[in-house]
Amino acid sequence: MATTETQILDEVIVSSRRRLMMMSGTALAGLMLGNATKAHAQSTLADADYLNFALNLEYLEAQFYTLASIGQTIDQIAIGIGPGAAATGGGTVTVKPSGVASCKVPFTIPVVASYASEIASEEQKHVKFLRGALGSSAVAMPNIDLYNSFNAAAAAAGIGPAFDPFANDINFLLGSYIFEDVGVTAYHGAAGLLTSTANLSAAAGIEAVEAYHAGLIRTVLWGLDQATPAAGIAGITIKISNLRAALDGTNSDDIGLTTVQDALNGSTSNYTASTIVNADSNTIAFSRTTQQVLNIVYASSTGAKGGFFPGGLNGNVN
Amino acid sequence: MQRGTLVRNVDELIQKALTRRNFLAGASSAATLAAVGCSKTFQPQTVPVAPTSTFNDVDYLNFALNLEYLEASYYLIAATGSGLEAADSGSGAGAVTGGAQVPFTSKIQQEYAYEIAQDELNHVRFLRSALGSSAVSAPAIDLQNSFNAAAAAAGIGPSFNPFASFDTFLVGAFVFEDVGVTAYHGAAPLLTNKTYLGAAAGIMAVEAYHAAEVRALVLQAGSAYVGYANQISALRATLGGGNETSLSATSIVACDPTNAIAYARTTSEVLQIVYATSDGGVTSGGFFPAGLNGNIHSTNP
Repeated sequence: MATTETQILDEVIVSSRRRLMMMSGTALAGLMLGNATKAHAQSTLADADYLNFALNLEYLEAQFYTLASIGQTIDQIAIGIGPGAAATGGGTVTVKPSGVASCKVPFTIPVVASYASEIASEEQKHVKFLRGALGSSAVAMPNIDLYNSFNAAAAAAGIGPAFDPFANDINFLLGSYIFEDVGVTAYHGAAGLLTSTANLSAAAGIEAVEAYHAGLIRTVLWGLDQATPAAGIAGITIKISNLRAALDGTNSDDIGLTTVQDALNGSTSNYTASTIVNADSNTIAFSRTTQQVLNIVYASSTGAKGGFFPGGLNGNVN
Repeated sequence: MQRGTLVRNVDELIQKALTRRNFLAGASSAATLAAVGCSKTFQPQTVPVAPTSTFNDVDYLNFALNLEYLEASYYLIAATGSGLEAADSGSGAGAVTGGAQVPFTSKIQQEYAYEIAQDELNHVRFLRSALGSSAVSAPAIDLQNSFNAAAAAAGIGPSFNPFASFDTFLVGAFVFEDVGVTAYHGAAPLLTNKTYLGAAAGIMAVEAYHAAEVRALVLQAGSAYVGYANQISALRATLGGGNETSLSATSIVACDPTNAIAYARTTSEVLQIVYATSDGGVTSGGFFPAGLNGNIHSTNP
């Protein structure tokens, strides 16, 4: 075992050296800086911190989908939002002025209503699972903003001055689009940092479910876009992806719905393919650090609290 | 690979190497290791030094590579009429039986098929590159008798040609994608190298994107195809230890209904599905008439 591992380590170091040599000086400086920050973060955070970080994101998703699906917040359907096992004591959810009930989306496409209901149920289960796994360490739900956040995101992305994700089927799908790929990258980034095998397996299993959601939302949006190109749906997803990539500091780890030219098993890139999957050039899903995820949900390239979490996340990762 | 990932992976590798040395230097870590919990799909860890099995990372990656050869062959042939190039198959690669270009009837059907074909080909290339000289060659793959036998076993009928139309192609894709998710989910925690773990978790996510896409499109194809898919799902459950979610408009995601966490399968459970057997000690069959290449190729005794 040790011999194999040493050999693998050697190979990775050699391969990393090659990659380093291919990078420009600027990129290399950035790499060094990132390295120092990362080492500090790793030394101070435990599994419970990463699980609480995930719990904050699940509170956000569960509230969004439950509101869209039935016009209620999760505490109204007996899901605890307080610290530990406490039902109450969590933060508030800011929604549009017409109120919580008005967030129930007036769906006109039956399967989209079904999808909303399914995803709401699954995100609720993630909240309950993480709260159960964390026990008395579970953080309360922080303050969540599902109104000003979307308006600001729309403005920042260049979509328009305001955006109501609860207005109709397509807006709901676009609102979902904002969350799901981020969930995948967040769990992907955190999975490797967990020390317990059980926690790692659970995180990987939730990551897969977020990827199912992302794949579903992207497939439905792409189908609608191709059916009615004039609606400009794919263009909006590209703007959202570009905004996320800009906020997390890479400008390169997020792909909207579009077409690309692939070579497949030939030598010429003449196959026009969709981009349902959001992944890198090896078709491995992107990964984000906790800081990169915070930048996105805070809508701040410097990580200043705001966006969907006006008072920040609860817990040690914030 | 993204810069941040690279930094993290190198950091973790170094830390891991140091931890390993510390562990070997003293027994104090043993208690910590023994206290690590196990998910329901893994054997209890009673021997700290060899916590999972006799297989190592290379074995698990080669196991995954075999599955990617199967998926890439299926999608490439469906998309273009021809399969993996020799350069992507390794020396002495096995033959592929059956398969033909699907008669697509719209641009969007082609876009979906081309994308997944390129994705699976990229996975083959990535794993072959990561494994280097340890990469196994593509084994013999059957895309004809396998589907016919599966259709018979599932109660669909005496034969099934997934290359007949876009809708049947989706059912054929359905056979693979959810299984890919469970295979990577099961294998990820067994990997000791964090770089490989990160890659496996990332490929798992891509298989889940595909799985959701395929499930949503099968639903669109209509109730007859949903029926076929669910007969396949029931067959997989019989062969592969349960771990299935019937497809419907309200159940796109395949996951444990109690906590919405995706299922994981052991390598043996995955082999039982791709070999189409529930017997122990089986080393070939179904999609792999000569078995998988590599050390992981037999169902549990």
